[in-house]
Amino acid sequence: MAVIKEITSIGSVVMPIEERWTIRRCRYAPEGGGKGRLCIATGIHGDEMMGQLIVYGVAKRIMAQPQHLHGTVDIYPMLNALGLDIGERMEPSSTLLDMNRSFPGTPDGTAMEAMCYHIVQDMLGADLVLDIHASTNNKSELYEVRMNANDAKTMLEHARCLCPELIWIYPDKISFSASLTSTLCEMGTPALILEADERRRRPQDISEHVVEGIFCKMRDMGIWTGDTVNPPKSLSEIPTIHNPEDVRRVTCEHPGIYVPMDRIGGIVREGELLGVVIDALEGEALEEISAPCDGLVFSQRSYSAVYPGTLIARLYRKERT
Amino acid sequence: MKKDVLFTVPSYFREDMKIMGFRFGKGEKSCVVLGALRGDEVQQLYVCARLVSFLREVERDGGILPGKSVMVVPTAIGHSMNVGTRLWAPENMDINRRFPGDEEGSTTARIAAALFDKLRLYHYGIQLTSFYQPGSFIPHVRMMDTGKQNPDLGCEFGLPYVYVRTPRSYDQTTLNYNWQLAGMQAYSLYAGKTSEIDENAAERTLRAIIRFLNGRGIIRSEYSPGHNSTVITNDDIITVSAGSAGLLRRVKLAGAHVRRGEQLAFIINPLDGSVREVLKTPSTGMLFFVQDGPFISEHSPVFQVLAGHS
Repeated sequence: MAVIKEITSIGSVVMPIEERWTIRRCRYAPEGGGKGRLCIATGIHGDEMMGQLIVYGVAKRIMAQPQHLHGTVDIYPMLNALGLDIGERMEPSSTLLDMNRSFPGTPDGTAMEAMCYHIVQDMLGADLVLDIHASTNNKSELYEVRMNANDAKTMLEHARCLCPELIWIYPDKISFSASLTSTLCEMGTPALILEADERRRRPQDISEHVVEGIFCKMRDMGIWTGDTVNPPKSLSEIPTIHNPEDVRRVTCEHPGIYVPMDRIGGIVREGELLGVVIDALEGEALEEISAPCDGLVFSQRSYSAVYPGTLIARLYRKERT
Repeated sequence: MKKDVLFTVPSYFREDMKIMGFRFGKGEKSCVVLGALRGDEVQQLYVCARLVSFLREVERDGGILPGKSVMVVPTAIGHSMNVGTRLWAPENMDINRRFPGDEEGSTTARIAAALFDKLRLYHYGIQLTSFYQPGSFIPHVRMMDTGKQNPDLGCEFGLPYVYVRTPRSYDQTTLNYNWQLAGMQAYSLYAGKTSEIDENAAERTLRAIIRFLNGRGIIRSEYSPGHNSTVITNDDIITVSAGSAGLLRRVKLAGAHVRRGEQLAFIINPLDGSVREVLKTPSTGMLFFVQDGPFISEHSPVFQVLAGHS
């Protein structure tokens, strides 16, 4: 069966000087449409590039095995194209604002608010929406699925089939307030955040992992019949943060340059060195930062300038035994 | 006047950033005035600086009433102001989206937590703030409808309008919202411009704060009579948006009285000078907000008209 590939503009705003800001969607669907619809969005933060490689991998695989596609896959490769162009997390068309705190938007609002509105309208009614993020600058993350506690009852099963390395259930609603995923969930469309960073020696490795997870989920949805990895049989096989106590947030207390050890994805023991804050002027190590407990390192700061309070690492504590 | 260091953010190769509070009088924590939370809030900083200067003289003349105290915090983001960034640059985060903060969290969360902790015991909280779009407002008092707001007290600023706004989901992490939840009477004052000094608007805002402090029995000084404020809500505001993009040439400015159908602005083709659109007011009223950037994108709100007010 042939796959129909269709590129559409889902929202467009005329900018002052001979340019349109357009959000494009590429739809892959079998002839006749099939059953089920998965939306994959990336680049809501202009400085997060991982999603580009992931949706590229998804598209390549669909087109390589078109006979296995039995539903619709909508790919939105870059929601914040203006931010991407200047390497900026925020949306720069007015004052710098976080697009992912501006949903559901409004058709008669600012350019960004109008775009947020069009994004939501286009995704409403999908069987699942995945919003891919790549953490923040200078921070590595495992492949994670994140959700609000309010949505966990229905979303956890979706998360299992995505085969993440970790699931994080946020207890408070404020963390995702006005975000794309929380807005869609409130409006009845299931949506999840995927985190996976590109700051590795080979971003392809983690990208391939996420792509496998997405195809596994597509098979679970009946959209894909090709080979995929098998999902974990039960949620208990995936490290899952249910409570704030499951996470140990490690910060530094001195300003300086942080020099990390390579701990991401590993189990550390209490007291094990995570990295050092150095002072190049005095030629001194200001602070040795050690693991405050045993745990799985699922976030890790890379070599960068730090301030008191800068996040150095996050440990998942359930791995202590 | 006492100078308090409310919070210090150590820096690596720059000097530490100290958030300074200027305290006048002794006794109950009566009122706090906070200026810039963003690096471009120059007007807000300026109004606070003028207020510190004024209160110094009031205190010298015995005008701070016994048992009362006032705190003024001109800026919580001096380092960003020095380098011209709106957000806290190392994290690229907006401090006014981090409240109530977290004392063990990231740097902006710690700044928010320190400010919130040090200031939440004041009875009245006045924040000089800026809008999320560049532009000018009629100076007004704004508060969010949390169920705990008191618009009647807002009228004591003597500004023409007290705007009670329905909060949106992102408002839950702002200072004003959290001050109200903490039991403070919280007000946001829109002082005209943001990234440049507007002397007239600064003067009006300063007088409003002085009027409020006198009215609440916190200071005794000369002050000018104000307006009989009108309480307005979202329902009173009509937005006029751009249907096209280009250079924005305004005909009317904030505060202008306009009649239905009157021309407000022209959107000009930035390459050939032709007129792409004439923006007109759909209702008679007063221009409450005017976008003041040189460019305008399609869809963007350009004017807010306070319908029926003149």
